[in-house]
Amino acid sequence: MKPASLLRWYPRAWRDRYGEELLALIQDTLDEGHPAWRLRLGVARGGLRERGRQARHAAAASVRRRVGPDRWGTVLIAGLVCAVGSGQLASAPLPARAWQAVALGALLTTVAVTAAMVLLGGLVALPALVRFVRAGGWPKIRRRVGWAAGATAVAGGGLAALVLAAGARSPAQVNAWGAYWTGLLVAGLALAVAIGLWAAAATAAARHLTLTARVRAFHLVLGAIIPNAVSMVVVTLGIWWWATQSSVTLLVLAVTNLALAGVLAPKKIGRAIRRGRRLQAAASGATIINPSAQRTHGRHRT
Amino acid sequence: MAPSGLRRPNDPPLLILVSLADGPKHGHALAKDIEDFAGVTLGPGALYGAITRLAERGLIEPLGSDDRRRPYQITPPGSAALAEALADMRRVARAGLLRLGLKPV
Repeated sequence: MKPASLLRWYPRAWRDRYGEELLALIQDTLDEGHPAWRLRLGVARGGLRERGRQARHAAAASVRRRVGPDRWGTVLIAGLVCAVGSGQLASAPLPARAWQAVALGALLTTVAVTAAMVLLGGLVALPALVRFVRAGGWPKIRRRVGWAAGATAVAGGGLAALVLAAGARSPAQVNAWGAYWTGLLVAGLALAVAIGLWAAAATAAARHLTLTARVRAFHLVLGAIIPNAVSMVVVTLGIWWWATQSSVTLLVLAVTNLALAGVLAPKKIGRAIRRGRRLQAAASGATIINPSAQRTHGRHRT
Repeated sequence: MAPSGLRRPNDPPLLILVSLADGPKHGHALAKDIEDFAGVTLGPGALYGAITRLAERGLIEPLGSDDRRRPYQITPPGSAALAEALADMRRVARAGLLRLGLKPV
């Protein structure tokens, strides 16, 4: 038996790091007259175990990359846009026909469901955020949260002032009031900035959170569902506008969007569910490994 | 129980830490020492599997060597984890001996 051939059981990275040492030990063990078959069996089992560990770590790392802070930012932006949009739509004038009411109802429902999913995603991460803050993490995100809260206060204050000012005038006066529309545009831009700042704050916080495998898997699935839900908001919005404005272009856009989502969404969601399962399986198989130490080790190897 | 993952007295990682507690050793010296003080024979596969885990967790570290037989030494976190695991085991052993009416060591 050639001892070097036994190393083939191990992953390449492991061989590069420990291969020579293991060969020396195998040689010493053989020199002492230990049974070669038992040694061969033990080394093969050790190599397969290393390959299994490497595969689990690769799967977990892949899922961690995909459920990264960027996904959080997208989710937050989508949720805030939905929340703001629902307020605007709720104040829209009542439609004249029954089918227009159905279109508006569908739109409001998709907006509400999307916003609820975003809130749910935030709620399941809340315990990790609380632990992070209690462990002294607040100074790391304080500045970003402060900026976001300030921008929200400015935008919210501006919008509230405009609503109050418009309430004292008739619809015809409001339509002819240029300053109102300019103010609305500025407040809308301020709101967009606030949303961006909240997204940045959420991204910064997410980098520090230690989420369980179950929560990460849940976020993974949610991350696949929410973009499709936002897409459905666009679809129902197009249908509603088509219903109220009689615009065929909007209807074509909505139906196209619906068809695309119908084809792509099941695949994406199914893939996310499978990745979530792999993530949970990987986490349950490597519970005694310290992730920070793993990262350190990875740097040494590369 | 020790949070370091050192649970049983015959766990290869625990045996390796005990062996390294009195100084650095390379793989073959570790296997011999463990066989001497614990009566446990660790094959090369099991030994290096445990060495990999311990090094990843920062409980042991390799020393520089020109030889293929690279020695390892226990790190301060490794010493702390070992002390904690042994204290746990001593507490269990003491309780067991007392309940059997035997004098604890």
